[in-house]
Amino acid sequence: MDLEHLAGRALGTVVFPVERGKLRELARALHDEDPVWWDEDAARAAGFDGVPAPPTATVLAAHWTPGALIGRPLELGLDVARLLHGEAAWSELRPIRAGDVLKADAEVEGVTRREGRRGGTMTLLVICTRFANQRGEQVAVLRDTWVQTAAVAP
Amino acid sequence: MNPVPAQPVALAAGDALPVRTFGPLTRSDFARYAGAGGDFNPIHHDEPFARAAGVPTVFGMGLLHAGMLGIQLARWVGPDHVRDFAVRFTGQVWPGDTLTFSGTVDAVDPDGVATLTLLVVRQDGGVVLRATASAQAA
Repeated sequence: MDLEHLAGRALGTVVFPVERGKLRELARALHDEDPVWWDEDAARAAGFDGVPAPPTATVLAAHWTPGALIGRPLELGLDVARLLHGEAAWSELRPIRAGDVLKADAEVEGVTRREGRRGGTMTLLVICTRFANQRGEQVAVLRDTWVQTAAVAP
Repeated sequence: MNPVPAQPVALAAGDALPVRTFGPLTRSDFARYAGAGGDFNPIHHDEPFARAAGVPTVFGMGLLHAGMLGIQLARWVGPDHVRDFAVRFTGQVWPGDTLTFSGTVDAVDPDGVATLTLLVVRQDGGVVLRATASAQAA
């Protein structure tokens, strides 16, 4: 399917809370058991003004996005059986703290096609998500590259 | 483990991230990350789906080892001082794999912004993730 017409499409906004419970679950999944990542007292004892979020914490937006993490690429027509996450790039503009409420605005930034190494055509879809906090400050920009691998010849 | 720094830390070209090796990774690690990070792509947890898609078994989501690298970077330079973190997934992580996380400071500019290169490598030497980052140093 030709997806190039999707470039520039707005994908909507989700508003979500940065919850300590989800931060605790994320830190455990990332195998870092330091309570600074979820406990207010531990974070303050370490010199923070609140519980700090690790660099990839914007993934928590997925819990509030229709279809979760892969909802948007699938909604745009990518094939789940050929879908891979190719790249992710964060610009971290301001600290994120537990208790923040983030607004995430996403859009399709670009769609490119490339010849696959074993024939067929790969599609690369870049989704840009801009995150702002409850004070209206930009806190992060994330660019995800989703890859639809070339169809395997029958 | 060192305490997570709230203030910028001193960084110089050639400095190395404390190397961490983790593994062997299990399907439970993938399931735990799916719940934490909201990644329910079936190729990461559904064996029949994965085989039908042409891979031998489920494999780990990139944001699992990217997240592990990111939190180690934050533990080194301070979570409030990471400026950019960009990862490219270059190989799959299979159940049973053991991963080594490493990184070095390439340069520090006159404003104290350090640029870094980071890698995640499997036990067989295969590079599964290449990353670049920048951080404000003391």
